[in-house]
Amino acid sequence: MTLSAKGTTAAAGAPSAQPSAQRARILRAGFQYFGIGAFYLVILVAFAFSTQHFFSYSNALNILTNVSVIGIVALGQTLAIVSGGFDLSVSGVVPLGAVSFALLTNAGIGAPLAILIVIGIGALVDLINGLIVTQVGINPLITTLGTLSITAGLAYTLSRGVTIPFVDLDVGILAERPFAGISYYVMAFLALAIVISLMLRYTVFGRMIYAVGGNREASRLAGIRVDSLTILIYVICSALAAFAGVVVASQLLAGAPTVGVEAALTSIAAVILGGASLTGGLGGVGGTLIGVLVLGTIANGMALMMVPAFYQQIATGLILLLAVGFGRLRAVFTGE
Amino acid sequence: MTHLLEARGVSKTYGPTRVLSAVNFTLDRGESVAVIGENGAGKSTFAKIITGVIRPDEGAITLGGTPVSFHSPRDALRHGMAFIPQELAYCPHLTVAENILLGQWPGAFGLTSPARVLARAAEECRRLGIALDVRRPMAGMKLADRQIVEIVKALTRRARLIVLDEPTASLSEQESRALFDILGRLAKDGVGVIYISHRMDEVYRFSDRVDVLRNGELVASVAPSKTSPAQLIAYMLGQEKEDFIHAPAQASGGEDAVIELRGWSRDGLPPLTDVSLRVGHREVVGLYGLRGCGADLVAEGLAGLHPEIRGELALIGKPGKPFPTPLAARRANVAFVPAERKRDGLVLILSVQSNLSLLILRLLTRLGVILSGQERSVAAELAQRFDVRFSRLSQAVATLSGGNQQKVLLASRLARQPTLLVLQEPTRGVDVGARVEIHRFLGQIAQQGCATLMVTSDLEEAVNVSDRLLIMREGRLVGELAGASKTQANAIALAAGG
Repeated sequence: MTLSAKGTTAAAGAPSAQPSAQRARILRAGFQYFGIGAFYLVILVAFAFSTQHFFSYSNALNILTNVSVIGIVALGQTLAIVSGGFDLSVSGVVPLGAVSFALLTNAGIGAPLAILIVIGIGALVDLINGLIVTQVGINPLITTLGTLSITAGLAYTLSRGVTIPFVDLDVGILAERPFAGISYYVMAFLALAIVISLMLRYTVFGRMIYAVGGNREASRLAGIRVDSLTILIYVICSALAAFAGVVVASQLLAGAPTVGVEAALTSIAAVILGGASLTGGLGGVGGTLIGVLVLGTIANGMALMMVPAFYQQIATGLILLLAVGFGRLRAVFTGE
Repeated sequence: MTHLLEARGVSKTYGPTRVLSAVNFTLDRGESVAVIGENGAGKSTFAKIITGVIRPDEGAITLGGTPVSFHSPRDALRHGMAFIPQELAYCPHLTVAENILLGQWPGAFGLTSPARVLARAAEECRRLGIALDVRRPMAGMKLADRQIVEIVKALTRRARLIVLDEPTASLSEQESRALFDILGRLAKDGVGVIYISHRMDEVYRFSDRVDVLRNGELVASVAPSKTSPAQLIAYMLGQEKEDFIHAPAQASGGEDAVIELRGWSRDGLPPLTDVSLRVGHREVVGLYGLRGCGADLVAEGLAGLHPEIRGELALIGKPGKPFPTPLAARRANVAFVPAERKRDGLVLILSVQSNLSLLILRLLTRLGVILSGQERSVAAELAQRFDVRFSRLSQAVATLSGGNQQKVLLASRLARQPTLLVLQEPTRGVDVGARVEIHRFLGQIAQQGCATLMVTSDLEEAVNVSDRLLIMREGRLVGELAGASKTQANAIALAAGG
């Protein structure tokens, strides 16, 4: 019997090659996950020794406060990336959320209701994204690039290109710090992280996100409603981005069309730093949080060291390439 | 006299399997040779070795008397040897002319022009007497025409020898005829043609000589006029085994058909024409045919992948239409084990446990939250029942062997007892031990009351594992074998149309 030499010889040669490639991918992701954690410890120690005010409760809180906006966006981005897609439109949804929140509250709508409406607007944007990606079949890069441009444009149109200050400063309630200097939005960020982490790990929905990201066709054949799932993930991602927009507005006590335009690239960078793969199926909230913290801490530490802000961008890019490249290099050295 | 091509003692081994052993082969100018053999006999490997796609472990190849050793298909092409594989590689968005002249555009100093490319390609087609509209984009051409483009492409590079790997598998009758006309003309002009096939009618229509491969050995080399289809089949199968006939366990399927297909038809390639069949309780029905016969379509149709299929589908007596989606098939409790386990079956980067529970996860939850203890015990039980060998349940499926992956796939589909189990190539690419076990599982599952439809291109499996064996050819059911008539020779004779 000559099983391995079936009519399709391609299939005969492949089996040994493919699993090991997959194995290497898993190893790489795991290594990156721990590697980035170790790397984070290193930069913490480095900054603690090189700057005076770095290692303090108030500065830790500072970092947490500064990363909340991008963190909330990155949580949604994690879902999109694990499921095998990604969402660029968050860069338009964050400013749109900020501007809408300012306009709504200035029109006399109470903050809680305004927050809900803004989240609804965000959800609607990505309902459209999801429908285009799954039903029309345009790939996520182009689709979300299109809606990014539309939502960013809408934010400018609605605000006529200028910053809209809150008339009633009390609507910035999210930025209040009721407990030990921790603001409501930091709490919201941490609570969302916990909820999404549990959801990914312990619910059918979460498991399906990994399954669809790991093998979309196999998931479809297994009877998973791949399209509805994809749409839902986009909706959650964008609702979170809109909420992040509310947070930015609350921080600034104003809605500006210029805030959060870097959200897409920074959030994707954070998720990838945390060990996710752009091909889907890998990654998680823990990794994303570390990714977000690495980026936030470097920005913070460099600011404390009086390094000009432009260098921070360069540093962010270098770290992303190093972290991902390092995982690859190791794979090269260990063969496969 | 020197032969155009001579291969001496060509051998190739993959892992423990010797795919080709000491094959000697010659081809003269203008000669057409058909190479036939069962699935897995080594035909495709042979074709790939003589055309430089893969390298032999041992043996020598001479071309026009000079020893050659090809490093790549490109190298082989430079020596005048062209390979037309089953899966064609081309640039879909470029025109036919661009594809024909790909990499050797006419012009000088790196400059060329669309007009020159068109003119040169048209001239080549005229020279070869082939009618092709060279201005059309490749993506808009029919498969048959794309193959012809590949042939023209090879000949513009002055190929003296063309090797085709089952080119007619997805072609209609007329298209096949047209292809053979062209090949016949080329042979008259002195081009050598090697033609991998397992269809008897073509062998008789076209070739000067038939070479038969069996288990990697060349067992016969005869002129078609001096042999018969029955003799060729005997060569392909070798000595019949004693315990060949496997008595049907509990032949049924008459009255209490679990599933009944009536008049399944579909246009397009491959087509389906009026396929009707039934599968009963406790019955394993095999569906066998050559590549492109449409058997895969029947399996995929039952899995909800081909909503375009017309006809009826009755499940436990309830008449209905073929399933429109995979979800509909799953809701009807039809389990589908696809042929490509890595592409369509498993989520390789997820754990053994997650893959085992993927289809029944909703049953293991409370308020949407997975009960992880239950999930683990169900997965462990399934793994044990199907003898999956692994070190941890949290291990990624990618790290398992092919046989164990296939068992995980099978177990995940059988986590809940299905009404109907549809399998495609259930043991492709698994080791011999796992193959035996999987066959045993299929018997057990049938005993528990499941109806099983097994689509396979593995002749031995088709004959030995099924209670009844249905044969398809060119989209039609052409025969049913059971009891003493269920032999490998009968099956392949029906499938090959000999």
